Amino acid sequence: MSGTSLQRGLKAWMEEMDAPVASFFSSCVHCGICAEACLFYTETGDPKYTPIHKLEPMRRFWQQEFTLFGKLLKTVGLSKPVTDEELEEWETLVYDSCTLCGRCSMACPVGNDITYMIRKAREGFVASGHVPKGMVGAAGRAIRIGSPMGVKLSALEAQIRHIENDTGLKIPVDVEGADYMALLSSMEIMNFPEYIEALARIFKQAGVSWTLCSEAFEATNSGIQIGSKDIARQLVQRVVDGAEKLGVKYVISPECGHAYFAIRWEGPNLIGREYKFEVVHILELLDQLRAKGRLKVSEKFDERLTFHDPCQIVRKGGVLAETRNLMGMIASNFVEMEDHREHNWCCGGGGGVSSNERADELRIKVFSRKKKQLDAVAPETLVTACANCRLMLEDGLEEYHMELPVTGLTEMIAEKLVEEEK
Amino acid sequence: MSDHNTLGEILRERGVSRRGFLKFCTATASMMALPPTMTMAVAEALEKAPRPSVIWLSFQECTGCTESLTRSHAPTIESLIFDHVSLDYHHTLQAASGDAAEAAREEAMHAHHGKYLLVVDGSIPLGDPGFSTIAGISNLDMLKETAEGAAAIIAVGTCAAFGGLPHAAPNPTGAVSVSDIIKDKPIVNVSGCPPIPSVITGVLAHFLTFGGLPELDQYGRPMVFFGQSIHDRCYRRPFYDKGLFAETFDDEGARKGWCLYRLGCKGPMTYNACATMKWNQGTSWPIESGHGCLGCSEPDFWDAGGFYKALSIPTSDLAGAIGTGLGVGAAVGIAAGAMAHKKKTDAEHEREPLTVEQLEGES
Repeated sequence: MSGTSLQRGLKAWMEEMDAPVASFFSSCVHCGICAEACLFYTETGDPKYTPIHKLEPMRRFWQQEFTLFGKLLKTVGLSKPVTDEELEEWETLVYDSCTLCGRCSMACPVGNDITYMIRKAREGFVASGHVPKGMVGAAGRAIRIGSPMGVKLSALEAQIRHIENDTGLKIPVDVEGADYMALLSSMEIMNFPEYIEALARIFKQAGVSWTLCSEAFEATNSGIQIGSKDIARQLVQRVVDGAEKLGVKYVISPECGHAYFAIRWEGPNLIGREYKFEVVHILELLDQLRAKGRLKVSEKFDERLTFHDPCQIVRKGGVLAETRNLMGMIASNFVEMEDHREHNWCCGGGGGVSSNERADELRIKVFSRKKKQLDAVAPETLVTACANCRLMLEDGLEEYHMELPVTGLTEMIAEKLVEEEK
Repeated sequence: MSDHNTLGEILRERGVSRRGFLKFCTATASMMALPPTMTMAVAEALEKAPRPSVIWLSFQECTGCTESLTRSHAPTIESLIFDHVSLDYHHTLQAASGDAAEAAREEAMHAHHGKYLLVVDGSIPLGDPGFSTIAGISNLDMLKETAEGAAAIIAVGTCAAFGGLPHAAPNPTGAVSVSDIIKDKPIVNVSGCPPIPSVITGVLAHFLTFGGLPELDQYGRPMVFFGQSIHDRCYRRPFYDKGLFAETFDDEGARKGWCLYRLGCKGPMTYNACATMKWNQGTSWPIESGHGCLGCSEPDFWDAGGFYKALSIPTSDLAGAIGTGLGVGAAVGIAAGAMAHKKKTDAEHEREPLTVEQLEGES
């Protein structure tokens, strides 16, 4: 088989069908509660954005192939086979209007993990060639260049030189036997190098032995977003090879949502074995250092701060208490948005939506949900822990003419860090 | 409260937020098994609904049904919806008494002729009209007179729906249900002893939203609430399926929360919404509290052979037949499962990794 085709897409679905999918499809009671949990529905009022509806072609395929009733319906012509045209129509529902944020899965009263199924549905869309151009471009760059944004090692090296010259700090690269290997997202390298500087300052102060890896610095995984385990596996393998070559004990996932999900939760299943290292999220590590007294701040911020919970890190990743412990350390005037922590609303650009230009208009429209949340608490600074959320928030705020600075939690901590000469 | 106020206005006056109201509408829509897109339709209809006139007649009853509806711990939207109706006559709740009370009933009957809802709780004695009278009028006469101008009748509670306790053998008063007497009006039986409050308001909400009555089962009960048996929706059902039963109320099985079938639970023959909606704001329900279902929403539940007497238990022959049936069924199921599994693994074996070049070729 070469190239993508409907047949290949359906075969991919056949492979993706497992016990959870069968039980989810059979236990859906059509209550529609997932619609109210999805910002694409709440902000547009259009029922086609009901999360479970986005899976309709896959559900029908499952019914036709795996249930007696479905086979019967198909035989007598009451249930039509899935066609290329249908997948083309559904492509926008599965990619443009789903950020894999997982809010619908949490709301489902019968416990259906809808996001898990959308992730699986995308395998079929990819294999049948129904994928947004922007995401194909990002995946191509990730495989060939090493970064979805096309960031090369030379660009990282240039940023490292800048930071070293500005601060006098050393940023270790390819140090064998270091305890921690830090990953970065392209956005951090190009848009928010403050993060790299923050890491260097905090780790120096806390006495953490760490390194970057020149062969595996990129944390993001376009394969997970586009929904191709083949591409995702290659990208995870790079990180695993890099970390195992350097012999580190831990790999640190950066302030990037899906990167954490990819390396921490999907990774071992993709490569089919356990890692020889452990994965921690940067906020988990910082909170451990805080608890041990190795991370201290000189004073708290007086301004009114709120925290945008990145879906993949908080709701789906389980890094909950750490975010609030760390905010408590730096904020004297912290205010929670109405739906927070695992109930937070997505920035609108997760799950690959941010690299899919076709979805821009819709993404900005549904940002009205975040706007309402922010308007209600009127913070002076918005803190988050995901570079993609941060870019999407900045973009949305600009479109809605809202003056509100957005920053990353790690940088905020570094700004008030107690730095003693050792 | 003016007669012209709509429900939307009244709820806002009582401090119910739009969000709270919409949540109620979503719950009601899903309770009534309506598609999610109907939520807004329900909300709009309820907001604009004018106050319908309701006459509530109580015959041979214990007032438990009225208590069920009005004695919730906190004022719920259900009770506010109920407040919203223009309850023109209800002899437990109304302030007026004697001639004034009867005058209110007659006035409502004339002013809203053909449009008012008649709610009845309690059964009607046919043995002797003197067994139960109100203001000197027998229950039978009052029911006939009031039903004549009603748009529809809601028989609340098992007494009004099926005769209930007064109807139990030997039925000394000759008690009968509303539908035994009235034949020419739409009647909804909201049975239960007492019925679940939100089922009563659900029927009212349906009437206000669609101007008609919901789909009914063979006993005249709304399908949406009485469509499934307690047994089918019981959280202890897995124990029944595994054959794990409590034999006494203080044995190991009872402590472990096993099935109460052998202790006389009537769940398998009882159709009601207790297992899903529960009681006291969703706190618990009889089986969750450790007692079998009495079957109170079914006709003649009082005469169904003792609350602690188990429903029939299969004889050994039947068990053998079931065993064979299960075996055959399982074999077919396993074969079908193996075929499905083969399809999946075939697909896995035949797969070729997808490359970005292949993707780019297509897009």
